[in-house]
Amino acid sequence: MTTSEDNDLVARVVSGQDTAAFGELIRRHQSQVRNFLRKLTGDFTQADDLAQDCFMHAWDKLHNFSGRGTFIGWLLKVAYTTFLQSKRKSKRYAEILASAGQVADQESRSTIVENHEVTDLDKFLAVLDEQERAIMVMSYGCGMSHREIGTVTDMPVGTVKSVIFRGKEKIRNSFDIKNHQHG
Amino acid sequence: MTSKIINMVERMKDAEDRLLESMFESAAIADNGFSARIVKKINRRLWLRRLVLPVAVLVGGAIAYKPLAALVALGAEFATFVPLETLTRASSSIPQFPSVILGAILLVAGLFGLRMIED
Repeated sequence: MTTSEDNDLVARVVSGQDTAAFGELIRRHQSQVRNFLRKLTGDFTQADDLAQDCFMHAWDKLHNFSGRGTFIGWLLKVAYTTFLQSKRKSKRYAEILASAGQVADQESRSTIVENHEVTDLDKFLAVLDEQERAIMVMSYGCGMSHREIGTVTDMPVGTVKSVIFRGKEKIRNSFDIKNHQHG
Repeated sequence: MTSKIINMVERMKDAEDRLLESMFESAAIADNGFSARIVKKINRRLWLRRLVLPVAVLVGGAIAYKPLAALVALGAEFATFVPLETLTRASSSIPQFPSVILGAILLVAGLFGLRMIED
């Protein structure tokens, strides 16, 4: 899965609206995008719907991809924006925003446990707020560098680092992660 | 140089980082028709876009047909009131074939000139 192959496929899509090439791009990256959104939403069905929206947006905006960063980095930015937009649209989210920060925190934690068995990772993610969760997933789940995360989230690298530090501290304070096994 | 140092610092992960990485690791999700569904959706949208203009022309034509026919009939009726002399004088002022050709050549040359200036 090389960057140049991705760039060739992107060029085919942009120059000739080649849906087969776009299909190949989806096949290559759907797993990473869906995993990213599943961890952000905690809901598999919602995540897959968002992933579909994300790829539709990607089709519309593909001409904006400059080819300077990786295609998956750009795609995860589209996915993150799609996720944030869906959150803003959601009436429930508006209610959560209107209520106290504490309540919002609890609500976001509760979304994690829907639709699938609760894993240690879910418990870890539940103590993080939305932004921390997204950045931690990008860093540890997608293996993105701090700079790439900064590009995706429109944040300076220093802020990304401090969000990761804060996230790790929250997890450390809530769980004894050294004694946790993968699961 | 600075970016290399940053990358090296990022790579220096401790045990906690490695543990977190292993916990965030997730199995690949099988495509199972996911990409095909999206491509189908995009193809449908492309077809819809291609159909919009001809359908709009057809619908617009159907709506405009009656009033347009009435307008043409009215115009023809109006022409009967205009004296024949006025009509022949008007037709002489309409540009003749050679001048139309000359105009077209000038237009094409002008467009080429503009393009060359732009380049």
